[in-house]
Amino acid sequence: MMVRRAVARASRPSRPMGLDGPAGSRTSYLGELRTRVLKGWVDVTAVEAGNSGVRRIEAEAVPTRYARGWHCLGLSAGFKDGRPHTVSAFGQKLVVFQSGSGAINVLDAYCRHMGADLSKGTIKGEEIACPFHDWRWGGDGRCKKIPYARRVPLRARTAAWTTMEQDGLLFVWNDPEGNPPPPEVTIPRIEGATRDDWTEWVWKEIVVETNCREVVDNIVDMAHFFYVHFSFPTYFKNIFEGHVATQIMKGNGRPDARRPAKAGEPQMLGNTSVASYHGPSFMIDDLTYHYDDMDLKSVLVNAHYPIDGNSFMLHSGIIVQQSDKLSKDAAEAMAQKLGDFILRGFDQDVQIWKHKTRIDNPLLCEEDGPVYQLRRWYEQFYVDVADVKPEMVERFEFELDTTRPVEVWKQEVEDNLARRAAEGRPA
Amino acid sequence: MTVRPDDRLLDGAPMQPLCCRQCGAEVEVRKASWHQTSVQWNAEAVSACLERRASSLGDGSGVFPGCTALRDSIARAALEGVIAVPES
Repeated sequence: MMVRRAVARASRPSRPMGLDGPAGSRTSYLGELRTRVLKGWVDVTAVEAGNSGVRRIEAEAVPTRYARGWHCLGLSAGFKDGRPHTVSAFGQKLVVFQSGSGAINVLDAYCRHMGADLSKGTIKGEEIACPFHDWRWGGDGRCKKIPYARRVPLRARTAAWTTMEQDGLLFVWNDPEGNPPPPEVTIPRIEGATRDDWTEWVWKEIVVETNCREVVDNIVDMAHFFYVHFSFPTYFKNIFEGHVATQIMKGNGRPDARRPAKAGEPQMLGNTSVASYHGPSFMIDDLTYHYDDMDLKSVLVNAHYPIDGNSFMLHSGIIVQQSDKLSKDAAEAMAQKLGDFILRGFDQDVQIWKHKTRIDNPLLCEEDGPVYQLRRWYEQFYVDVADVKPEMVERFEFELDTTRPVEVWKQEVEDNLARRAAEGRPA
Repeated sequence: MTVRPDDRLLDGAPMQPLCCRQCGAEVEVRKASWHQTSVQWNAEAVSACLERRASSLGDGSGVFPGCTALRDSIARAALEGVIAVPES
């Protein structure tokens, strides 16, 4: 047990190695390793390997600020039950409440009077009332009334977040500089979300215990879709421009990973996905599944908000369009099925994230996507607006050569099917 | 978070300047193979691109997938050896 813990520490140093000067850090790194060897913490082969040309993993501490941008808190209907809600986000505790006039408000949860938790209070008219002494706070962050006092004191103002309700979803604007959202930074409308021929949202939420950069990295990571999610990408392109980062992906089915269609069932041939992050955390994916007799159109939302530097809330939402081949009921059943499928996909990612280390210098082959350019784009949300460099927002396109991956993966799928057939198991 | 360079640009093919034969927009292009392409635009190139201007997208609400004239220019430059394509 002792050994396992120590080895884990060796591969995941609390202080990133190699960041404080090339020569000095190397000496201290080796010194540190030697200490660990003497104490029996590290096996010797690791040390020998450490002596010559070994690529070192580098990672700065997670950022101390939270991304500027719109963040989705989930389905807005969930906040309209007449009660205040507690949300942990941006390293703080927030209270979300709908005032009498219908607006949804987000404030810092801690009452400026004596520090009680407003999210444990009560909504009274337009205000949230503190459970401790009934101080009333408005959606603008100002204390409106203290029933037992003649006057509200000066400086009775708490932090309030700008909110937006759109397509059944609640968004908050986070900006460490405290500016309002600029008009060009918007979340586009999702047409199907308000149309009768589309299903309602099937919405799922999970807490993930790692920094949220990991989920954003996925947008450039073609190969993990094969190895982690059992899909089969055949075309892959990324486009970054302004505050939008896009992934265009086409894929085939994986006969070794999914039950093949029975006679009479529609057969899935492949899919086309155009997914864009609009800002740091909200991705809309126009996702079409191609069947032999129809196209199934869906919109997938993949969104998150940071709880703190080492955890985030991950949301997925899906809506499916009805068609002459897909009745209302069938579309709803399909949305439920896809929702569960996406949740399994999250879990596959989580299994990787749980055990991986943060890495700022990933070693890439030419068949990997533009991880560095993605992070250059992502950085714009972590600096002041005045410090956003042109290179962070200028248009960049990266089309991946899928020739080799497709060749190798076809073989792997065939091998998997052949092995199963030899073992007498169904495909 | 420090913005770091992509080592592939140092170890493999570099980004090379290229002008679109249609509008003259100058971008930087890299090909790691015949089917891989990276294109770095700047603001000037984006405003020069005719297809981009004609597209109603690209205003943040939609995605401009890429310019076909530039794509052709890149393919031609690769065939003519103006843009280096590493042998696989």
